[in-house]
Amino acid sequence: MPPRKDADYMDIDSESDASIPDDDYGVGKSKGKSRAKAGDRRKDKGKAKAKENQPYTWEASYARSWETVQEDEAGSLQTSVEELLARGRRRRLLAPAAAVRRTIIRHLILLLDLSMSMLDRDMRPTRFDLMLQYAREFIVEWFDQNPLGQMGVVGMRAGLGERICEMSGNPQDVLKAISERHKLEPAGEPSLQNSIEMARSSMSHLPTHSSREILIIFGSLTTCDPGNIHDTLDSCVKNRIRVSVVALAAEMKICRELCDKTGGQFGVALNEGHFKDLLFELVPPPTQRALTRAAGAGISNPAADLMMMGFPTRLPDASPPSLCVCHSEMKSEGFLCPRCQAKICEAPTDCDICGLLIVSSPHLARSYHHLFPVKPYEAVMTLENGETAAPECHACSRPFPTSTSTTAGEGLSPVGRYRCLECRNEFCSDCDVFIHDVVHCCPGCGK
Amino acid sequence: MKFYIDNLPIVFPYDRIYPEQYAYMCDLKRTLDATGHCVLEMPSGTGKTVSLLSLIVSYQQFYPTRRKLVYCSRTVPEIEKALAELKRLMTYRLANAETEEQKEKERSYTGLGLTSRKNLCINPDVAKEKKGNVVDARCRDLTNSAACEKGRADPGSVPLCEWHENLGKLEQGNQIASGIWTLADIIEHGREKGICPYFAVRRMMPFVDVIIYSFHYLLDPKVADQVSKELSKDAIVVFDEAHNIDNVCIESLSIDLTRPMLDSATRSIGKIGERIEEIKTTDAAKLQDEYAKLVEGLQEAAEQRDTDDFMTNPLLPDDLLNEAVPGNIRKAEHFVAFLKWFVEYLKTRMRVLHVVAETPLSFLQHLKDITYIERRPLRFCAERLQSLVRTLELSRLDEHAALQKVATFATLVSTYERGFLLILEPFETDNATVPNPMFHFTCLDPSLAIKPVFERFSSVVITSGTISPLDMYPKMLQFTPVVQETYPMTLTRNSFLPLVITRGSDQVAISSRFEVRNDPAVVRNFGSILVEYSKIVPDGIVAFFPSYLYMESIVAAWNDMGILNEVWKNKLIFVETPDANETSIALENYRKACDNGRGAVLLSVARGKVSEGIDFDHNYGRAVIMFGVPYQYTESRILKARLEYLRDAYRIRESEFLGFDAMRNAAQCVGRVLRGKTDWGLMVFADKRFARADKRAKLPRWINQYITETASSLSTDMAITLSKLFMRTISQNPNENQTGVSLWTLEDVEKAQAKQRALALEAEQGHEDEAMDEDDEYGDGGISDNAIMEVDLDI
Repeated sequence: MPPRKDADYMDIDSESDASIPDDDYGVGKSKGKSRAKAGDRRKDKGKAKAKENQPYTWEASYARSWETVQEDEAGSLQTSVEELLARGRRRRLLAPAAAVRRTIIRHLILLLDLSMSMLDRDMRPTRFDLMLQYAREFIVEWFDQNPLGQMGVVGMRAGLGERICEMSGNPQDVLKAISERHKLEPAGEPSLQNSIEMARSSMSHLPTHSSREILIIFGSLTTCDPGNIHDTLDSCVKNRIRVSVVALAAEMKICRELCDKTGGQFGVALNEGHFKDLLFELVPPPTQRALTRAAGAGISNPAADLMMMGFPTRLPDASPPSLCVCHSEMKSEGFLCPRCQAKICEAPTDCDICGLLIVSSPHLARSYHHLFPVKPYEAVMTLENGETAAPECHACSRPFPTSTSTTAGEGLSPVGRYRCLECRNEFCSDCDVFIHDVVHCCPGCGK
Repeated sequence: MKFYIDNLPIVFPYDRIYPEQYAYMCDLKRTLDATGHCVLEMPSGTGKTVSLLSLIVSYQQFYPTRRKLVYCSRTVPEIEKALAELKRLMTYRLANAETEEQKEKERSYTGLGLTSRKNLCINPDVAKEKKGNVVDARCRDLTNSAACEKGRADPGSVPLCEWHENLGKLEQGNQIASGIWTLADIIEHGREKGICPYFAVRRMMPFVDVIIYSFHYLLDPKVADQVSKELSKDAIVVFDEAHNIDNVCIESLSIDLTRPMLDSATRSIGKIGERIEEIKTTDAAKLQDEYAKLVEGLQEAAEQRDTDDFMTNPLLPDDLLNEAVPGNIRKAEHFVAFLKWFVEYLKTRMRVLHVVAETPLSFLQHLKDITYIERRPLRFCAERLQSLVRTLELSRLDEHAALQKVATFATLVSTYERGFLLILEPFETDNATVPNPMFHFTCLDPSLAIKPVFERFSSVVITSGTISPLDMYPKMLQFTPVVQETYPMTLTRNSFLPLVITRGSDQVAISSRFEVRNDPAVVRNFGSILVEYSKIVPDGIVAFFPSYLYMESIVAAWNDMGILNEVWKNKLIFVETPDANETSIALENYRKACDNGRGAVLLSVARGKVSEGIDFDHNYGRAVIMFGVPYQYTESRILKARLEYLRDAYRIRESEFLGFDAMRNAAQCVGRVLRGKTDWGLMVFADKRFARADKRAKLPRWINQYITETASSLSTDMAITLSKLFMRTISQNPNENQTGVSLWTLEDVEKAQAKQRALALEAEQGHEDEAMDEDDEYGDGGISDNAIMEVDLDI
C-alpha cells in the first residue's frame, strides 16, 4: 500500500504518466485543478492505483518497509503498530505452555562464516557487517538469558576453521574477540567440516549435563572439505552436539541434514529482520530432545540427575592481591572456590583446580525462568462487568484506554487489557510484552 | 483409500490423493469404457504410475472380462519401479479386500516384468558375458529346439542350459505362482528353484494379468513378433514416458550399414558356404529336406519354429507374405551366392564419393539393372536366412549379426515403398576427407511401426510428463484419441520457478541461433548466467546444451575467457560425454558433490543420456539451465527427408515439427529437476526465442502456467534477483498443510464428485434443449479442468 506521499502525487501520475515533471506553470496549474476535482475520489482511486503500482520485479529485493505499514482512516500509524504487536503476541501464544525440560547450563560455539560470499550486499550494508552486528546483539542477549552458559567463537575462512574466542562465560571476552572487524575480514571459501571439527574438539571435554551446541551463521552455498562431512555429522550425533544453522542465501542439503540429524534448527533468512528473528529464536535454551533422553541415562530417570555446584566467595576489591589460577595474574578481586579455595577471576566457570562448577546464586535464579515461563496472558475481549474491572494497569498504574479499538486480531484485546490466568490481574499491552520478554515474572502473583 | 468413479470401485494404496491424479483416473476410465486411445500429460512426480495402475487394476478386477494390461516403459529401472509400485498396490488391495472371494481374486492376480536375457540370465557361464547380443546368442545355442532335442535324446552330446531344462519339466502356465514378481524377485525365484527366469516369464506371458516391459517388445517388429504375438485383442496397452515414441518407432524400422559391417557379412557368407559344403558331404538329406519344405511355403516352416528365435523377420505382421520362397534362392548354395552378389553390390555403391538419396523403388531398379537381382527373392531374404541358419545349426549367432542386418535390410527395402528413404553418406562430417561411408535406410513415418499396435489393441494409452502439444502425437502416429488431456499441477506453494532469460546484463540478446551462437558476446553472456547461478544456487545445477558440438565449442571458449575458473570457485564442473561409462562416473561424482555440500555443475546435452533417463531430484538439481533451444541438427539429411515426408504426407510444416521437437526436449530437460511435490527448483530458459508465444505455447501446461508475464523476458540480473528471492522463500520451512488443496482425502474426493455432479446437472439444465450429443461426446465420469479449478477454490 502506498504511503501518504504517494497518495498526494497520485493524480499527477494518473494524469500524465509518461511526462517528465517540469516546472512549467500551466501544467502545475492544471495539476492543482485536477487535484481539487478529484479530491473526494482520491481515497478509492489511491487504492486502485496501489494494486497496479506493484514494484518492478527487479526492485523486489529492496526492502520496501514503508509499504508494510498502513495508515488507518485518520492517517495515524497506531493501528499498524498494534498489528505488529499482535503478531508478536500470537507467536507467544503458540509456544507450548507445558513445563519442559531445558538445559540451563549451555555451551555454545558460534560459527561465523568469514568467506568471500559474506561480502555480498544483498543484506545491508553487507552480510558480513550485518552478521557482526547481530552477533554482538545475540551474544549480549544470550548471556543475559543464559547466565550459566559459556560461549566460544570460531570463524571459517579460507578453508580453515579459526578459533576466534575460547569458550568463556564472560560476555565481554566474547564481544571483545569479535569487535575487531579488520581481523575478521572475509577471505576464501568456508569449510564446514574443518570448523565443525574444531568446534567439536573444543567441546569434547564437557560433562554430560551441559548442552553442547553449535550455531552456524552461513552465508555461503558451498563448503570445501578435506574429508567426508558425513563422518563429522555422525560424530556430532554421537557426541550429542546440536547444530543449528542460520543460512543467509538458500537451503543447502547438507545444512538441512546437519540440523535435522542433530536436532537443531534450520532457517533461511528472508531479509535483515528475519535474520535477526532466526538468530534470536536460538537464545532461549532448547528443550531437551527425546533422543537425548532415550540415549542418555537410559534406565534411570534423567530428572534424578544431581549436579555438584559450588557457590564461590566473592573477594572484596580491597583484599590483598594474589595470583589467580586462571590467568596467573596478580589481582585483588575474584572468587574463591568453596572446595579448594583456589582463586578464580570470574563466575560462572569450572574450577581449574578441582573441576567444580562454580556459579553464583543470581545466575541460577536468572536461568530459572526458562523452566517456568510466565504463562501467556489472555486477552480480555469485552468489558462484561465494567464496574468491577480495574481502572488501571496492575503493573504500571496507567489508566486503561476507555475507547474500544476496532482492530481485533487473534490474541489482541480490543480494550487493551490482558489478564493473568493465575491472579486475574489485568495489565496493559506494554506491560504484557515487558513482563514476558524481560521480567519473566508476573508482578501480580509473583509466579 | 477406496472410492468410486461412477460405479467402479477404485482402490488407491495411499490415504491421500492428488487432485490431478483423480482427474487422470477419470479420464483414463473414460478411455477404457470407450475402448479407444488417449493421450494424457501429467506433471512428473505426481504419481502417474500409481494412478494408472490402481485404476486399471481396479478396472480389471471389477469387470469379468479381465482385460490384460500391457505396460510399456522405457528403461529397466523404470520397469522395476513400476513393478514395485504394482506390488505395493496389490498388497494393499489384498489387505483391504473384504470377502474371502475377493481375497482369492486378488491373490490370483499375476503381474510380471520382462527384460532382456542379459538382465535375467542366471546361468553363470552365459551371464558373465558383457554384451547383450553375445548373451542372447549363447543362450540360443544352449536352448534352441534342435540342440534340446539332441541333448535330450543323447545326454551330454551337446551342452544344454540346465535352468532351461528344469523349466521345461514344469507344466505350462504354472511355471510361476500367481502374484506380482519384480525382476529381482523373479531372478531370486529362478535361483531357488533352478529355473530360467527369462523363459519362465516368456512362457507365462499368456497367463498373466499385467506384463511390464520395454517399448521395443511391442513396437520393434523383429521382437514383437515373438514376444507379443499372443496378447489378446482387448488388452490395454500403456506407453509410459512416451514423449519419444515416434523416434522409437522410427528406429525400430531403420537400418544403418557401414563398410566394416559389409566386410563382416562377406566373411559370414564365406563361413556359411563352407558349412554348406561340409553338410553336403555328411548330411545331404538335411538340405534336401529343407528345400522340400521351402517349396511348400513358409507357413509350415514357421509353425515348427516354436520358441526358437534365431533371428526374426523385420516386417510388420500385415506385410508378411504367405507364399513360397522363390526358386532361385531355395537351394542353400544359390542363396549364399545370391547374398554374396547383394553384398558386393552394396559395397560398390559405397565407393561413391557423393551423397546419394533415393527411394527404395529407384534403389531396386538400379539393383536390377546392375545385378539382375529381382525384388521378390529379396523380400524373402530374412526369412530364408533364418531357415538356413536353423538347418545348418549354426552356433554363436552374434558373429553373423552383420549378415542378419544385411538380410533384414534386403527384406525391408524390397517390401516398403512409401515412408522410407535410402541415404548414402560418404563422409562422416562435412569437412572430413577420409571417406567413411554410411548407408542409411531410414524410416520416415513413425506411424508405420505403431500402426499394428493401434489396429490390434482396442485401448492404447500414451502418457508422459511432457507430451505437449498434445495434438501433434495423434497427427504423427495417425490415430484418433478419445481423450486428450493435460493436467495442471496443484501446489500449495510455487515449488518451481520458470524464467526466460532473453538478454544478458549488457542487454545483448542471447540465442543459440546458428549465426550468433559463437559470437563472443553471446558466449560470454551464457557464461555469466552460469557464473551467477553457480553463486546463488545451492548444491546441484544442471546445464543443457543443444548439442555435443556446441557444448564443446562453448566450453572451450569459456575456458579461454576464464569463466570456468569463476564457476570453479563456487562449484565443481562435470561434463557429460557420449561415452556411457565416463558419463556414469561423472554422474556419480556429481551426486557426491551435491550431497556433501561442495555443489556441482553438470554440463550435459539435450537428447543425451542425462536428459532422458536421469532424475535430478531435490539437491541433485536445484536449478536447470537450458542454454539455447535444442533444435535438431537441421543439416542432417535424414532429418530433412523426414521433414519433407511429414510435410507431404501429414501436412505438418517443417518449422512446426522442429519447434515441437525442440520444445519437447527442452521440457524434458527442465522436467528432470522436479520429481515430486516436495521438490523445488529453478528452470531457466536462456534464449531469446523462448520468449515467443508460439514456443511457450508448446511447453507443457503445468510449466507454462507458472511463467508469468514478467518472467517471460528477463535480463540476467533481473533473473538473478528473482531467483534469489524465490530461493529464500522456498527455503522457509514448509509448515502449511497440503491436505484439501493439493492432497485430497476421501472426503475431498467425494466433495469434488458431488460438486461435479451439481455442475453437470446445472449444465444439463442450462442447455436442456440442445444438449443431446454432449453426453456422447464427453462420456461420463470425466471431470473437466474448469470443474477442478472451481472445486479447488471452494476448498
